[in-house]
Amino acid sequence: MEIHTEEHHPIDSFIHTELIHSMWCSGCGNGTVVYALINALKEAKYDFSKVSVISGIGCTGKVTDYIKLSSLNAKEMSVIKYAADFKFKHSDQNVIALVNNADFLLDGAKSFIEAGNDSANILVIHINNCIYLITDNAIVPITPFMRFSVNGDFELPFNLPHLAKTCHSDYVARWTPLRTGWLKYSMIEGLSKKGFSYIEIISPCVIYNVTDRRIEDPVRRMAFYDKNAIIKSWEKTENLDLRDGNRIIIGKFINK
Amino acid sequence: MIRTEIHIIKNRCKGCGICIEICQNKILEISEESNKYGYHPPTVKNQDECINCGLCEMFCPDFAIWVVSQESVQT
Repeated sequence: MEIHTEEHHPIDSFIHTELIHSMWCSGCGNGTVVYALINALKEAKYDFSKVSVISGIGCTGKVTDYIKLSSLNAKEMSVIKYAADFKFKHSDQNVIALVNNADFLLDGAKSFIEAGNDSANILVIHINNCIYLITDNAIVPITPFMRFSVNGDFELPFNLPHLAKTCHSDYVARWTPLRTGWLKYSMIEGLSKKGFSYIEIISPCVIYNVTDRRIEDPVRRMAFYDKNAIIKSWEKTENLDLRDGNRIIIGKFINK
Repeated sequence: MIRTEIHIIKNRCKGCGICIEICQNKILEISEESNKYGYHPPTVKNQDECINCGLCEMFCPDFAIWVVSQESVQT
């Protein structure tokens, strides 16, 4: 039996190892997304000086602190706008925009629609945990149906892949963090497109509990998301909202 | 039989237990001792049953565990 410690992980040369122990909770999906992103860039043999990552606020915004790529931490409302402008200025760079719900829904949807209609050559990775973590009793436009806020309100969920389709995206996919291999290939395909590509990752927030803010068992959370996710590629984007109770349709939907 | 080495960086682990749950052959288990942040990292129970699927490496959010097959070590 050989157990070695204090050696180098295969992706250690691409992350700031002195900063990891990271600030994410135990079992958070963000680390898996970083692993998939770096492995996608490694597998498609991208030059790492030709890749730029732009992120926003919150836990997702910390991704750019940990990876050794040229990166920018934009304001909450303008991540996709910055990414589109950056791609316009530096056309040799492959630009990736990492957004979360606060970046996307508070004020950033306008720049998303603009960038999609202009067919900006960027890859938007949206880490969707179905809540705003910052505010206590807020339900967001994409919270699944019949999930009540503390005040007892509910509303119909909004359909983000369909929005991406109507914005003329070339590539639309949706995964959970437990489909890391498929997520990696989606990132490779989305980066290779000469147009606007959108990947949504439905990732659980392990800290959030309505009554008290304690960390729930991440294994149980991930198992719940895994059990209720159904792979249905090429499903019509009209059917993709989270309206159907415990049913998350994942897969690749548009590939032009 | 595939000979593998399982590498664990104990001080990076946050004890979420995903690697223990995801392992097909139930190789890993929670150790009694804790690391310097107070989490309990996994230990290897029966090394010989590892088939080098790489799921633990793929799902670890803190880049703390990875598997190397013995052939790639020698070459």
